[in-house]
Amino acid sequence: MNPTLQSPSGPLRAYGRACEARPVVRSLNVATVRQCFALVVLVCAFGGAQAAELRDLWKERLKSVVAVEFFTETELDRRPTVAFGLVIDKEGTIILPGGAVNPRFTPSELKDFRIYLPGASVQKYTAATYLGQDVFTSWHLLKVADSLWPSLVPVTAFAGRGATDVKLGQEVWGLSLRGKDEDFAPYLLQAKIALFQTVPQRTAVCMDDVAAPGLPVFDAGGAFVGIGLAGFGQSFMQFSQRERNGEAIALVNLGESAAFLYADEILPYLGRRPLNVFGRSVPWFGAFGMQTIDPEVATFLKVDTGVVVSEVLAGSPAEVAGLKNRDVIVAIDGKPLPRLKPDRVLVSHVQREVNRRMPGEVFKVTVLRDKERIEIASTLVEEPKLQREAERKYFDRIGLTAREMVYADGIVRRAPVAEHTGIVAHFVKANSPAAAAGVGLDDWIKEIDGVPVKTFAEASAQLNAIQTDLSRAETVLLIRRGGETQVLRIKLK
Amino acid sequence: MAKGFNHLLNAVVRIDVREVSYDAGVKRFSAGVGSGVIVTADGLILTNAHVASPKAIELIVTLSSLERVGAKLVGWDHWTDLALLRLDLEEVKRKKLTYTHANFGDSDTLFPGQIVYAVGTPHGLTRTITRGIISNNRRYFQDNTGVRGYETGAFNTWLQTDAAINPGNSGGPLVTEKGAVVGISSRGYLGANNLGFAIPANIARRVLDGLARDGSVTRSYIGLVPGALLDFESFYALALNTGMLVNSVDPGSPAAAAGLKGGDILLAIDGKAVDGRFPEQLPPIQNAIASRPVGSMVGLTVKRGVETATYSVVTEKLESQVGEEWAFEKWGLSVRKVSKSYARAGQLADATGMIVLGVQPGFPAAVAGLSRGDIVMSINRKKIVSLDLAKELHEAYVANPEPTLVEAQRDFRVSLYILKP
Repeated sequence: MNPTLQSPSGPLRAYGRACEARPVVRSLNVATVRQCFALVVLVCAFGGAQAAELRDLWKERLKSVVAVEFFTETELDRRPTVAFGLVIDKEGTIILPGGAVNPRFTPSELKDFRIYLPGASVQKYTAATYLGQDVFTSWHLLKVADSLWPSLVPVTAFAGRGATDVKLGQEVWGLSLRGKDEDFAPYLLQAKIALFQTVPQRTAVCMDDVAAPGLPVFDAGGAFVGIGLAGFGQSFMQFSQRERNGEAIALVNLGESAAFLYADEILPYLGRRPLNVFGRSVPWFGAFGMQTIDPEVATFLKVDTGVVVSEVLAGSPAEVAGLKNRDVIVAIDGKPLPRLKPDRVLVSHVQREVNRRMPGEVFKVTVLRDKERIEIASTLVEEPKLQREAERKYFDRIGLTAREMVYADGIVRRAPVAEHTGIVAHFVKANSPAAAAGVGLDDWIKEIDGVPVKTFAEASAQLNAIQTDLSRAETVLLIRRGGETQVLRIKLK
Repeated sequence: MAKGFNHLLNAVVRIDVREVSYDAGVKRFSAGVGSGVIVTADGLILTNAHVASPKAIELIVTLSSLERVGAKLVGWDHWTDLALLRLDLEEVKRKKLTYTHANFGDSDTLFPGQIVYAVGTPHGLTRTITRGIISNNRRYFQDNTGVRGYETGAFNTWLQTDAAINPGNSGGPLVTEKGAVVGISSRGYLGANNLGFAIPANIARRVLDGLARDGSVTRSYIGLVPGALLDFESFYALALNTGMLVNSVDPGSPAAAAGLKGGDILLAIDGKAVDGRFPEQLPPIQNAIASRPVGSMVGLTVKRGVETATYSVVTEKLESQVGEEWAFEKWGLSVRKVSKSYARAGQLADATGMIVLGVQPGFPAAVAGLSRGDIVMSINRKKIVSLDLAKELHEAYVANPEPTLVEAQRDFRVSLYILKP
């Protein structure tokens, strides 16, 4: 169980598919081999002056692309993750797609960022610093050491005339990188644009894969037109050779994508920088569980479209401003919500409208309550402490990482704010005393040895005392899971 | 074999059940076979709650003479998995049928290793007798969805036997060599070898009296979720064989209102010491509270840390998590009412709403996008406080089919739907 709060600050889904949160790890597979083959054919087909031109464009634009490796250090292990980054300024700032970092990890667990140049020996890399995730664009930002700056060219250098003026059927090209074992060798992808969509950002979908997620797409003249999007899935039927009945499956290519985010949705926001590694500022409205109403419901309610609010969070700006559970948001700043397809992307649109503002700014919505239209003007504030900001500590002898309980933890556990005390079992080591006693991931620990947990510091000190007292045979936890509590005895000997 | 055993055989019946189900957005009928035993001269038959339930619309009993006669449900108690039927005595008289009734033995005197027989209709094979021993005479298992989704086993222990008990044996008697009924065969582990369970006769007799008199057994509820103390004594500084662990207190329950909490140790009920060291000791303690009249005051002596205090708790009526079921045929929607107990377990604010059990493809509910597990909270902005209200709204729809606004939630996320004619 991994309850995540769908609050306005949650990771944005550019093209919502389940695998988006996974790090993009490159591996050799049939598809990439096919692409390499295609590259050869393609270069031959172009021939002459045009091919030379593309080669030059390619060589220049490669300087805005890097491979990024970092290590996620948890209680027990250290795992590498590889993602591809885009250079956005002359001071070595690099962006990674939102899905490149698992949101369960806190920035202090992300270590040792290394920047590799495509095709150069992986023996050589340059260190980078993690700057945090921007709440509006969902990009993770890095800053590479200045020794590498001369080798890099920001992608903005290619954002020129007609950069965003791409048309249906137009040919665009982008690139992807091979794995670390192949020195992150860059390779070319090219396709024609098949479809434009607003989901809710403007997105183009090509007839074939056009770029790795996070890497740039250019038009024939070399103008920057967008960034490859992760998680663009396609439906297939899978047939076994023995069984006749096929099975519908969705395949998602993690290494290459046919979809790219329009440059218009990127260029204006390249100046955004989080204030700290936790991605502050994070504006907070406090409407939980927003769901788009379907067209039938919209017709019934005599509106074009809208988003129903499941719950207004306690203490939030939305509550202060008078928003009620079940209100249907129909307009923002007096402007009716757009009709977007698929329905659910309208929720992302509303969240983006919150996220593009700063704490302290006013967020005005028009809601439909029964048959009445009501204007709600709220003043956004900083979102309460986030899970990634919560303190945590691993107790090896017990086999448990205790994490500070934050606002969102209480919300997903459906507890009133006054009861938001305790700690969360953030990690339980397999076969450890805690696991043997039945402590589960995300269990809410209310009492330790009969003492109610008040603060993380107290609980942490208590667990530390238990852990270091080698004469101790047991400790007893009162945990809460769902609405029920349970007494668990952890045998330490 | 003893004469008593043959007498017993003549009291064992096969029960063919036809009942309604509400699983697929529509009222459907299904059929099943079970066993039963005639226990009184006036034709009362004891069987399992999971064989004959209030959903039964037809109950046909096959007597040992192979004559068939109708029966009616008299009472039902899923907690002990028992149901009581009565033969249609007029039909018996008209057809000039005869039957015998079985005698009860004392299940408290059973000992592990004692030979017992299970009699019944496994897989429809009428009058099958299997032999085994009492494997354990005080087995504890509680199952919150054990009797067709209803709770069972909180207030009784079970007899465990290795006499083969197969599907269809349910409701048949477990008997001694002399033919005395010592249990009602109830369930077995599927896929295991001869791990069968039966309700002890002494409990069945008490429930039988209640069912014959009232049609149901009314129990008291205070909201304690017990746990076996096992070797927690030292931690709680208790004398051996003292006290019962309170694992959890249901939110909003009488015990919660009185101030009890998870992690408390229940030492005594109305001054009478309790011993909940082992799991099989929990049902009698639970039963001590459940058997009080509803609304009575119970004094609970509770140890918390070093403090010991007595709390007065007023019991309320025990309710199942499983609410009443219904199918709204024109919507193609079958539902189960949210009960107070379900709401508590699911952390819902109150018992408003009904849970979708199924939708019929092509019907308005399915077309609108409702699916199993959604909780319908309101229809045309009217809060679903009762099933009757929903039935009225459905009738209004049938009389005048117009687009109908439904608000439903899933994982506390609200969605709106339109039921369209």
